[in-house]
Amino acid sequence: MGRKIFALILTFAITVGVLGGCGTSAPASTASTSSSGSSTTGENVTLNFAIWDVQQEPGLRKIADKFEEKNPGIKIKINVTAWADFWTMLEAAATGGSMPDVLWMHSNQIYRYASHNMLLDLTERIKNTEKFKLSDYPDDLSQIYNVDGKQYAIPKDFDTVGLWYNKTMFDKAGVKYPDETWTWDTLYKAAKKLTGNGVYGILAPLRNQEGYYPFIYQNGGTVISKDKKKSGYSDPATVEAMKYYVRFVKEKLSPKIYGDTERAETLENGLCAMGFFGSWNIATFAKNDYMVKNFDVAVLPKGKTRATIYNGLGNAISASTKHPEEAWKFLEYLSSKEAMVEQGKLLIAIPAYKGTANDWIQANKAFHVKPFIDMLDYAVPYPASHQTTKWEDKAYETLKPSFTGEQTVQQACEITAKQMDQILASE
Amino acid sequence: MVEESIDKLNPNNPKQKQKPSRRTRNEWHWAWFLVAPTIIGLLVLNIFPMFQSLVLSFYKSGDFGQGNIFVGLQNYQRMFADAQVWGAVRNTLLYTVLVVPLTILISLVLAVVLNSHLPGKMVFRTIYFIPMVAAPAAVTMVWKWLYNTRFGLINHILTSLGLPAQNWINDPNLALISIAIIGIWSSIGYDMVLFLAGLQEIPKDYYEASSIDGANFLHRFFDITLPLISPTMFFVAVTSVIQNMQVFDLVYMMVDITNPAYNSTVSLVYLFYNNSFKYFDKGYGSTIVMLLLAIIMVITVIQTRAEKKMVHYA
Repeated sequence: MGRKIFALILTFAITVGVLGGCGTSAPASTASTSSSGSSTTGENVTLNFAIWDVQQEPGLRKIADKFEEKNPGIKIKINVTAWADFWTMLEAAATGGSMPDVLWMHSNQIYRYASHNMLLDLTERIKNTEKFKLSDYPDDLSQIYNVDGKQYAIPKDFDTVGLWYNKTMFDKAGVKYPDETWTWDTLYKAAKKLTGNGVYGILAPLRNQEGYYPFIYQNGGTVISKDKKKSGYSDPATVEAMKYYVRFVKEKLSPKIYGDTERAETLENGLCAMGFFGSWNIATFAKNDYMVKNFDVAVLPKGKTRATIYNGLGNAISASTKHPEEAWKFLEYLSSKEAMVEQGKLLIAIPAYKGTANDWIQANKAFHVKPFIDMLDYAVPYPASHQTTKWEDKAYETLKPSFTGEQTVQQACEITAKQMDQILASE
Repeated sequence: MVEESIDKLNPNNPKQKQKPSRRTRNEWHWAWFLVAPTIIGLLVLNIFPMFQSLVLSFYKSGDFGQGNIFVGLQNYQRMFADAQVWGAVRNTLLYTVLVVPLTILISLVLAVVLNSHLPGKMVFRTIYFIPMVAAPAAVTMVWKWLYNTRFGLINHILTSLGLPAQNWINDPNLALISIAIIGIWSSIGYDMVLFLAGLQEIPKDYYEASSIDGANFLHRFFDITLPLISPTMFFVAVTSVIQNMQVFDLVYMMVDITNPAYNSTVSLVYLFYNNSFKYFDKGYGSTIVMLLLAIIMVITVIQTRAEKKMVHYA
């Protein structure tokens, strides 16, 4: 009898231990983005806000705190999941019906989520709100998040890609700093002059937005046709731009860089004198002493025309949220002029609200960031379609051989165009 | 009374065979109860999803689990024509061939050495086992830094010795070897512990008898140790192969899709991950997994046949 009791207690203890362990050992990134946990009385509501940039979290926390002050009873919980895992996490949450209440949206994924009714249609609420007007935001940005005439997200910020250059290396080689007069020719000549003694003049990695995309548009080419049905890699202007870009690698004016993390390393370690990076890197670069001391930003050079890639994130609400009214209140606040100005001042990102960019420029002490705003006049929206990730990844695979030298740029672009057309046809 | 008891004890008594005693049944119930959690876990987390994957491989997946279209064998036809899948098969097999024999060899030698009267052998055993405790992702990150072409420690040592620096991560010819090295390094500890256990089961009498007959170390190793450790070696070989054919985290963290070495290192599970979670085509991903399952089963069957000829049970 005593043995039986002992056995029972042991089993019980083990079961409790296992179940308790299960509850707490869930991976940190996915555990917190489960459905909005609120008390049943409805008095204290907690909203889950999912983002992917850990750099922006402290600033957003301050904005969320201000909102909580004005709206007692609503608490905001910010959950950061790194970009590489964010969409995997979100898809699992969406399939399981437990999406975060408020979340960031990206031009790559908006169509998927909106067309499957995963996001709340905000059109009516936007019409009726007094806190802001949709016309306060650039039309291009709002259109990204408008699917079939319905508005599914409100623009949050925008970013452009600029030319970062190492002032010290320029001084050493006796080259004038880049400015608006620069053309493709000037860029090429400068890269040549700056290369030597173990350093490269320019960083031309296998990267689209922060690499060859701006050049494609500067040459009058395109990545995808206007009707999103055909690939732009078969366009001769695109191929010409790719040839110009790959030439930097061929003539050893740029190191052969393929990975993501290696790019910034080359600038931070004084290996390359110039590089293309988006405005969202400012926070990270500002923390790096070498970058702050030696680097500054300029507008991109002119090809046949001027161009850079711009993109903007949006704030959206999940369609399955249990607290649509509270979530909308938070979204209203985020989209108001007050919060947008705060976003700029706290260096979170370039606020999308018209006219608030100046606060952001003033707040940036480390670099001259005005070029990012200046380029907005001729910026091209990030090329996307319904299944962007698929053909973008495949494009990296098929363009790779032109960088390694196994194929010519012409061949690689042809194969890329074929693959892309196939994927676009299946959308 | 006495006849009844004798009846109960007699195993040939027909009455005894029909009704298992209450105590036996009670033991059975306890056994099922204790085994239940594992069985339920296996069923729910492994067996059931395996059949779901099989079913899913006949569909073209829609987003978010909605709108799956039945396409029959179309995924399989696509897979057999897909050069990248066959490249992944080659990569995975090559990786397994690189890792398993070397790991077994090194860990067996280590186990034999650490089984002898070596001072401080407990310390060494612990040191060799520690890599198993570290998460594969963390291990790969550190190795990635060691392998870094410009700033990595390995190339630094090579150049200071006058040897040329290698591109460990981006060179299509070297990348798989670099990953295999990490795989070997992290599995040696585990296999070593298994071999140690196997070694300690070998009766010392055999060694004493053989040294009387004048056997030296090599004789002892090849004629006594090796045959008697073959059951452990069989177990290690089978489980190692199954585990290494499923390599994913090492490759995923070292090699990105933009890496020139991608095509010569992408493993079947990595391809499955990309198709299922990046390109949202779970149907095709499931098809790839079915292929992996088939390959592993064939290899395991071959190994089981070999067991009959090569494994000696003492």
